[in-house]
Amino acid sequence: METSSKEMVKTNSRSKQKREIKKLAIHSFVIALGIVMLYPLIWMVSSSFKQPAEIFNSVSFFPSDWTLENYTQGWAGVSGYTFGLFFGNTLLIVVLAIIGNVIACSMAAYAFAKLDFKFKPIFFTLMLMTLMLPFHVTVIPQYIMFNYLDWINTYYPLILPKFFAVEGFFVFLMVQFIRGIPNELVQAAEIDGCGRIKTYWYLILPLSVPALVTTMIFTFIWTWNDFFGQLLYISDLKLYTVALGLRMFLDSAGESAWGPMFAMSTLSLIPLFGVFIFFQKYLIEGITTGGLKG
Amino acid sequence: MGKFKLFWKNNGIGYLFLTPWLIGILTLTAIPMGASLYFSFTSYDMFNAPTWVGLDNYLSLFSDAKWLQSVKVTLIYVLLGVPFQLAFALFIAVILNKGIGGLRVYRAVYYVPSLFGGSVAIAILWRQIFGGNGLVNNILGKFGFEGINWISTPDTALYTLIILMIWQFGASMVIFLAGLKQVPVELYESAKIDGAGSLKQFFQITLPLITPVVFFNLVMGIIGAFQAFTPAYIVSGGTGGPLNSTLFYTLYLYQKGFTQFAMGYASAMAWILLIVIAFATAIVFATSKKWVYYQG
Amino acid sequence: MKRSLLLFTMITLAFLLLLGCSSNEDDSNNESSDGGSEEQIEISFSWWGDTGRHEKYNEIIDLFEEAHPTIKVDRQFGGWGDYWDRLTTQVSGGNAPDVVSMHQFYVSDYARRGALHVLNDKVESGELDLSDYPEAALDSGKVGDDIVMVAKGITMPGFVYNTAVFDELGVDYPQSDWTWDDFVDKAYEIKEAIGEDGWAIEDGSGGQLQPLFRYFARQHGQDLFTEEGKLGFEEQVLTDWWTMWDQMRQDGVIPDAATSNEYDGLPLEANMFATKKVALLGLPANQMYLYEEQMAEGEINIVRDPHIDGGPNGEYIEGAYLSITEASPHKEAAAEFIEFFVSNEEAVKIFKTEQGPPAGTEASNTVIEELTPPEKRAVEYIQTTVDLSEPAPYAPEGVNELETLFSDNAEAIAFGQKSVEQAVADFMNEAKSILGE
Repeated sequence: METSSKEMVKTNSRSKQKREIKKLAIHSFVIALGIVMLYPLIWMVSSSFKQPAEIFNSVSFFPSDWTLENYTQGWAGVSGYTFGLFFGNTLLIVVLAIIGNVIACSMAAYAFAKLDFKFKPIFFTLMLMTLMLPFHVTVIPQYIMFNYLDWINTYYPLILPKFFAVEGFFVFLMVQFIRGIPNELVQAAEIDGCGRIKTYWYLILPLSVPALVTTMIFTFIWTWNDFFGQLLYISDLKLYTVALGLRMFLDSAGESAWGPMFAMSTLSLIPLFGVFIFFQKYLIEGITTGGLKG
Repeated sequence: MGKFKLFWKNNGIGYLFLTPWLIGILTLTAIPMGASLYFSFTSYDMFNAPTWVGLDNYLSLFSDAKWLQSVKVTLIYVLLGVPFQLAFALFIAVILNKGIGGLRVYRAVYYVPSLFGGSVAIAILWRQIFGGNGLVNNILGKFGFEGINWISTPDTALYTLIILMIWQFGASMVIFLAGLKQVPVELYESAKIDGAGSLKQFFQITLPLITPVVFFNLVMGIIGAFQAFTPAYIVSGGTGGPLNSTLFYTLYLYQKGFTQFAMGYASAMAWILLIVIAFATAIVFATSKKWVYYQG
Repeated sequence: MKRSLLLFTMITLAFLLLLGCSSNEDDSNNESSDGGSEEQIEISFSWWGDTGRHEKYNEIIDLFEEAHPTIKVDRQFGGWGDYWDRLTTQVSGGNAPDVVSMHQFYVSDYARRGALHVLNDKVESGELDLSDYPEAALDSGKVGDDIVMVAKGITMPGFVYNTAVFDELGVDYPQSDWTWDDFVDKAYEIKEAIGEDGWAIEDGSGGQLQPLFRYFARQHGQDLFTEEGKLGFEEQVLTDWWTMWDQMRQDGVIPDAATSNEYDGLPLEANMFATKKVALLGLPANQMYLYEEQMAEGEINIVRDPHIDGGPNGEYIEGAYLSITEASPHKEAAAEFIEFFVSNEEAVKIFKTEQGPPAGTEASNTVIEELTPPEKRAVEYIQTTVDLSEPAPYAPEGVNELETLFSDNAEAIAFGQKSVEQAVADFMNEAKSILGE
């Protein structure tokens, strides 16, 4: 009795040790790789505190002469319109775009994944095809359309299309997730007296939380960073976004303000980073698939 | 009337959910797409009405050396970039999914590169790493090797962009993570009782169950890589240099359309690309029946 | 016909769309119409530039609006690359700004495709009063016989050097009347002095056709293009040009191809001249002051581009211009705005030499008193060289394709992919086919 329990303790501690080592190895690997991932960010942040002359002429990571001037100068924006305004504008666009994408894309995805209707394969193919055409050739006809609607210099062209599920990426993404929801579950819900609309609302949406959250994160980040659409459709400084504001600092034909550019780029990453941290919790913990036995 | 009722009964609810998408595709998407298809058969300088030229644009593509170069560059980018990025993203996602401490921080850190998107800052950052006096050469120097200007040498420039693509693996990683969360925990528990090791668990449980997500990432990765524009545009300053070694397909298309005012030609390029992507995607779809597993 | 059908379909569908969704989305900002007083008109003006320029132009526009209470100016701006992407889209989308900034590189594409309003009548009638513009400055805004743009600032290129750098190297300053042979000799002399750390000058063989190669062709009594829009120079000129640079590259006097590429497109602060990797730089004179601000020591001086002994002058006027678009519904107001911009005393005092000194004689006299020393040096240089300049025909359509062809082939030589002979032959063949010869 005694010896065997001792042995057990021994093997336990050995396997524990082994596990510790393995854990340590994983950690150090993850950390080392993390540094590689972060290097450019660190470089940018440190540049944002450097004097303009030092940004390109010094190899040192740390500014020899810390300055906040890049931040104050950058934040001031141009002609009295500050970056605060640009942040607010971008946030408005982003939030509306998220609402549009989540509603419209999940509806279409539910239809494609779990409902039957005529021409479904054709529509699905069409949806994928919209992803395959480079946007540079559709920009002009689109611009003509929006111009006839008198939507130039408004946020309509940037927001309204999202309410019509034009981003096939998210439709397809959600299709893949909703297809993964067991049919038995869907049928059970319907037998329980749930109509299709209720099934969508009470079953499909809650079970697709990871996909919805992914959509939110990506919509946020991509809309925040998208600049070509914003460039074409917005010219009024009052309506400027962060992406447009950042481009303002760079002009290849003249003097560029790299310091303020890096400073404002750093600031503009903060909301993105924050949103990612906030939402990823739901990505991981928001759903327990335990109830979903196949 | 009766016919319509029957149609409605069978299809109505589907179309109801599809309505926003249908409106979007018919107005916002189909019209510009149709217009570009029409332009592809015309000579269109964007300022004056297009004139019909039939298949001229398509035919002249094949004798355009720069077009062929852009096809070559793009194919290498797709064939190397997509598998490496996906494998890497999946690998990291699985590690992060293991539930090690400080997970949330790591995950966020690994997503940072993707936050940059196509920011102009990338152009400068990438030179800081792969330029003649960049980080890579500094490290090589410590080991006694002399590096080259990786970005500025035609033989290596494209590969720095492939590394950039792999570096921005965060989006695929997040989708993999979301997919991993859909795998029922019970399956692992019963596998553990059966004594399956972690490698075995991965190949027998995890991988099959996330095949829908792998499939999604593969399809979107292919489509995205064929259309890659921003990395080459910002790193090469829009030229696709050195020596057209980073002349991506869409970059050349953009040059044709927006700087040389040959929108008809650019549209023809776009439709060829669409056909190629559609073909590649169709292959993936065709094979998917063999390896993609839906729990339904 | 087909186009109008397309538009009709678009409008119909778009209208349906608007009906369908405007109720969804009342809260978005839509401030495009202000529906105020009846006589009020709005014109739009767009330009490229950095934030400093935006501030200046905004001030000028504010002044204009004060002086013309019935005209409101909608302001649009962006960096150089963004500016042209947007302008192309706007023009083809039927939404061109009334007044646009124009440049030599693009004017042919816009003017020859009918996007720019021809100003001859307005100038002759004095509606757009440019009476104190020197003939040459006015001519530089012509494509063919049509005045399509008005210079807001003019400039001339040259080679700049930093006196401190030359003193340190112990090399004599270049002389303004130097020949290309002197230029090459000077380059070897600099390289000798600078040693392993740098080169004499950046690789000027490719990049853009203008200004360097164009000067070279003009000094041979030829030009880039003929008045008829055909290729204006002979094979030998191009061969000589690329041979000269290739020799210097092989001797290490100018950087190798990969190094050139690495520095290409770097910001001013980090480029070869600012970091003293090279001692000479080809530059438009109006940008001299930027380098004087950037480099701690020495004066930035400028000399003419080298010439050919006994040959004609290469000089022609370059600048930044304003145009009225053909689609503009308010051409009178647009003309009023341009006149104000280039000749109003207060406006000109704000403009100073933002994009080169003003073209008008009175305006440039007003400005010169308010300048810093490097700006003054630039203006003096521009004034002397403008007198040497001759008209230069504008490019035909397809010039951008030609530009790419030129830089591609120059790069192919630099990377050792093509011999000079091969590159010249390739260029001449393809150029002729682009220009329809």
